[in-house]
Amino acid sequence: MHSDILVDIKKDYVLSKLRDNERIDGRAFDEFRKIEIYPNIIQKAEGSALVKIGDTQVVVGIKMQPGEPFPDTPDKGIIITNAELVPLASPTFEPGPPDENAIELARVVDRGIRHSEAVDLSELCIEEGKKVWILFIDIHALDDDGNLMDASALAAIVALMNTVVPAERFELGNDFKLPIKDIPISVTSLVVEDKFLVDPSRDELSVGDNTITITTDKNDNIVAIQKSGSYLLSEELFEEIVETSIKKAKEIRKLVTS
Amino acid sequence: MLQKPKLIIDGKRLDGREFDELRPIKIEAGVLKRADGSCYLEMGRNKVVAAVYGPRELHPRHLQDPSKAVIRYRYNMAPFSVEERKRPGPDRRSIEISKVSKEAIEAIVIKELFPRSTIDIFVEVLQADAGSRTACLNAASVALVDAGVPMRGIISSVAVAKVDGVLVLDPIKEEDYYGEADIPFAFLIRNGKIESIALLQMDGRITKEELKEAIKLAKKGAMEIYKLQREAIMKKYEIEKEDIENAQ
Amino acid sequence: MRKIVLPGDLVSTNPKLAGSGTYIENGRVYSKILGLLDQTETQVRIIPLKGRYIPSVGDTVIGIVREVTANGWIVDIHCPYTAFLPVQEYPNMKPDKKPNEILEIGDAIIAKVLNIDPKMKVTLTMKDKLCRPIRFGRIVAINPARVPRVIGKKGSMIKLLKGELDVQIIVGQNGLIWLNGDRRKITIAEEAIYKIEQEAHTEGLTDRITEFIKRRKENVTKA
Repeated sequence: MHSDILVDIKKDYVLSKLRDNERIDGRAFDEFRKIEIYPNIIQKAEGSALVKIGDTQVVVGIKMQPGEPFPDTPDKGIIITNAELVPLASPTFEPGPPDENAIELARVVDRGIRHSEAVDLSELCIEEGKKVWILFIDIHALDDDGNLMDASALAAIVALMNTVVPAERFELGNDFKLPIKDIPISVTSLVVEDKFLVDPSRDELSVGDNTITITTDKNDNIVAIQKSGSYLLSEELFEEIVETSIKKAKEIRKLVTS
Repeated sequence: MLQKPKLIIDGKRLDGREFDELRPIKIEAGVLKRADGSCYLEMGRNKVVAAVYGPRELHPRHLQDPSKAVIRYRYNMAPFSVEERKRPGPDRRSIEISKVSKEAIEAIVIKELFPRSTIDIFVEVLQADAGSRTACLNAASVALVDAGVPMRGIISSVAVAKVDGVLVLDPIKEEDYYGEADIPFAFLIRNGKIESIALLQMDGRITKEELKEAIKLAKKGAMEIYKLQREAIMKKYEIEKEDIENAQ
Repeated sequence: MRKIVLPGDLVSTNPKLAGSGTYIENGRVYSKILGLLDQTETQVRIIPLKGRYIPSVGDTVIGIVREVTANGWIVDIHCPYTAFLPVQEYPNMKPDKKPNEILEIGDAIIAKVLNIDPKMKVTLTMKDKLCRPIRFGRIVAINPARVPRVIGKKGSMIKLLKGELDVQIIVGQNGLIWLNGDRRKITIAEEAIYKIEQEAHTEGLTDRITEFIKRRKENVTKA
């Protein structure tokens, strides 16, 4: 519906700076904007976090309740991840159920958490075959200045890290801290011509919404990949992006654990 | 429902407040980059963010009003904002709140200046604890000022509840849930004076005299909130002035 | 220092003095926006601190072509109303040329507001010496309410920037500004413009901007 002229006018500037191997905000090609992490900001939730990457802001809240397990995994808890790209966060977001972008974002964040086994689902079993913990990861965008993906993934893992399972509320024993086994970190890059820019800002994305997200775990295994956008990616560039993403994820993981 | 607890103990409320005392309030204007105007507000344990976009083009065309701007207000609760996770998306309660809030704002925005356009107000409740609709309207009011939208004045909103036969200002969840009546108000305030009622609802039962008392109580609360709303805006716009004076 | 006022603040009891940014009710004059109170003997007006651009006839604007039609171009000028540039208002339009051969979707232009009809349909023209398609240089966006300060009294601020930096500057009333010249000088001009935007309602700004530009120019020559 709405396009944003304030972003569109930057396109030529981004491209001309790129030709001189520079970014419009002076960052290095593999540099993230300033990252701010505020854990536990929604006390009523079981866990929560606000993450700012530059001017992009996302809140993630964790809610838990007992429920029935899936029939094929009777002793495992269930994680459900949802993203709301609410119209508050951008002039281009419309009210309504999640669109393909919101769904993609939620599913990629979910895969990173699931395949890194950050949460051991067998620890969320209450009564095998009958009752398990259902864990909701709800991503709520507040301000889209580019790269909601990494901000959401980061907020999600930080929120999980301060989650307390509300057993007492449901008379299922004592509350306990959700055990977290890994810290998946996603790194998203904008692909332009034969270059890639890590953590693209909204102005940089004016040249095209062509990104690739790589999520890694603490052992540098790759636990999620998502190429997003109608563009063709060369193998060599892809390999470079993987190397850089692993490196950047390590740095961000240090921020989280400190 | 469990046995109703006593809500007034030794003349004090459950959280220790006086009957005419507001919960702690924190207001910050201009907190979002993409929105034209914005505000983060806490009222007790309520945490809300409001954003204003507009006036801007309104699509589809048939929704346009040829003589004035259309106002749209969307009150939305994040799934993690309440104790039992709320499914995302508008429910009947959110739709009703959005309607009456929109109408309060429509009454004070000078819409004739922007025919055929829309002024969109979005408020997200990140954490809720009774009175979230009043917190949202207070935040929306600040966001509208921050966006430069022309208005007759400022809207300040607060609820009054009747608990254990006593009228109290700005109820918390327990008072709202177990009380005999919940009355949210919003007033148009101009030049430091309360001019008129912009929003009014009641859920429960009260007498005519109690209603009069409730209005008095609400006005007191609204004036205090108005002062804080002004401070928040001044803080954002004065801060630039100060930075420069200090730099010299 | 001018006082900041909010919507609903009483600014005068004399309706004859009511200027822009105010409204009258029951013989009293109130502010309707967030802005700076500007009081003279003849007028009380409010200088807006924020707000969307609302076009006026004669305004210079910078916009982006969003659609090409048989009769002209639909242009986004960052305001609640779309603008239309008819084919006839493009200078030296050759009869055999089609609109999409002149301007394409995504092209930026400098134009003037020719007409606004009662329904707020905006018509643009490019038949003016300031107008042109933008093929090089840089476009910068600021809060439209601060445009008067970037221009300055009788163009003084703009003259300062142009003189000190030797760059071309065309300011759109809609908050978009076109800069052209040496790349490093344009960057300094851009920074100066953001500084003016931030500090618009303060005193001594012209001197501070002159200082700022001199310092940045030194850094550039040192580099």
